Amino acid sequence: MSGRVIVVTSGKGGVGKTTAVANIGTGLALNNHKVVMIDADIGLRNLDVVMGLENRIVYDLIDVVEKKCRLRQALIKDKRFENLFLLPAAQTRDKSEISPQQMKALCAELSEEFDYILIDCPAGIEQGFKNAVAGATEAIIVTTPEVSAVRDADRIIGLLHSSDLDDPMLILNRIRPDMVRKGDMMNIDDVNDILAIRLLGVVPDDEGIIISTNKGEPAVLGKNSKAGEAFRNIVRRIQGETVPLMSMDFDPGLFGFLRKMFNNK
Amino acid sequence: MAFSVPKKAFQNQLVFKGLKQGLTLIIPEEKSFSFWLEALNSQLMETKTFFRGALINVELGARKLTKAEEESLKRILSSFSIIAKSFTNQYAETDRGPREEGKGKERITRSYMVHGTVRNGQRIEYDGNIIVKGDVNPGAEIVATGDIIILGRLRGTAHAGAKGNDRAEVIAMLMNPVQIRIGNHFSRSPETGANRTCPEIARVRQGKIVVERYDVNQH
Repeated sequence: MSGRVIVVTSGKGGVGKTTAVANIGTGLALNNHKVVMIDADIGLRNLDVVMGLENRIVYDLIDVVEKKCRLRQALIKDKRFENLFLLPAAQTRDKSEISPQQMKALCAELSEEFDYILIDCPAGIEQGFKNAVAGATEAIIVTTPEVSAVRDADRIIGLLHSSDLDDPMLILNRIRPDMVRKGDMMNIDDVNDILAIRLLGVVPDDEGIIISTNKGEPAVLGKNSKAGEAFRNIVRRIQGETVPLMSMDFDPGLFGFLRKMFNNK
Repeated sequence: MAFSVPKKAFQNQLVFKGLKQGLTLIIPEEKSFSFWLEALNSQLMETKTFFRGALINVELGARKLTKAEEESLKRILSSFSIIAKSFTNQYAETDRGPREEGKGKERITRSYMVHGTVRNGQRIEYDGNIIVKGDVNPGAEIVATGDIIILGRLRGTAHAGAKGNDRAEVIAMLMNPVQIRIGNHFSRSPETGANRTCPEIARVRQGKIVVERYDVNQH
């Protein structure tokens, strides 16, 4: 058995990579897949906090690579799901203390046991990014509808292309339907115009995400959260299902376009 | 006349070609001159009388002949009653690709095709023309010594005629660049650009880069 190794990346910081990893990982576990999330943001780890697992960390990614512990020992089991694990980043170390080769070997080892390996990539395009994408076979790009975030996403897509990850998927995060309607925010068409890659999902801006992130409870578990619903749909699309984009009261022209996009697949 | 001197000799054979300056013997640039002298000798031995009495031109490509080499070539030719009336180095620049004549100006025809979108941070540089089958996104750079053709949206930077050729052109299906440079000229998009909807061409006119609708009747 060989699991799917998916890196979640963006270029720009603060667009919601870690939140996306936490929600997709939890969503996949909810659907009975065996999942491990790797926090590759060494020195600035967050995924453990978002998952509410910070106080359980004993060993980390660097310890595994330096063989100070066995891989099994460093994996932290989620408090809600038996089949969800986290491999945390080291907080007091540096991104240069691990090499792309080591990440590759680690991902290969994990993919023998897990269905999904999700890698939370650090912002930027330097060493940390190179490490995070080294072992991946698929990529998810997270962006927000802002010109700067879309530019960085475009740069990342170009870089992924040269790493043989040439069919990345896009999550458009934190979209605000009211602003889109007024023409104050880039809409899906505008983003797609530049990036032109497969759209995996659109996540509306949702206060609930901030609350759930602070609590360490992924929004995907909350039944009333719009963002949670969007992430559940994203998870189903990753599993290969065809799910129409949920209603966000966009103008009808936009919906025609989206329906077309998914029907074409 | 679009033809190039064969860079790789075909099975070590020399070729006589009828060009506009008359029958021309083409000596490839590769291998030594003495090798070709020998080849010429044995080739003419086979055909013997075919070229008898011919006045020919010898095309040498980038090769320069010493007096002695020229003499020995003439000697072999005359032994088969062939007279070398001239020596030319006309196609010495063939490594820059075939050239197009006519309309009073020479144009570079060597081109490089880019398949797909050129993204932010990517730079494509080529000594010749560049054709992009896709978009050029903001932050991407296309630099060509010849023309640039974008079969998509140009939203990045394009520099045509990068070695100072002001006659180079930039053509895009949708022209919305951050910057256009042609030769030594520079221009950026107006801050409030009108929405462009048709293919356009940028070129230098009276010292300024001008962008106008691409008119199919004019090209």
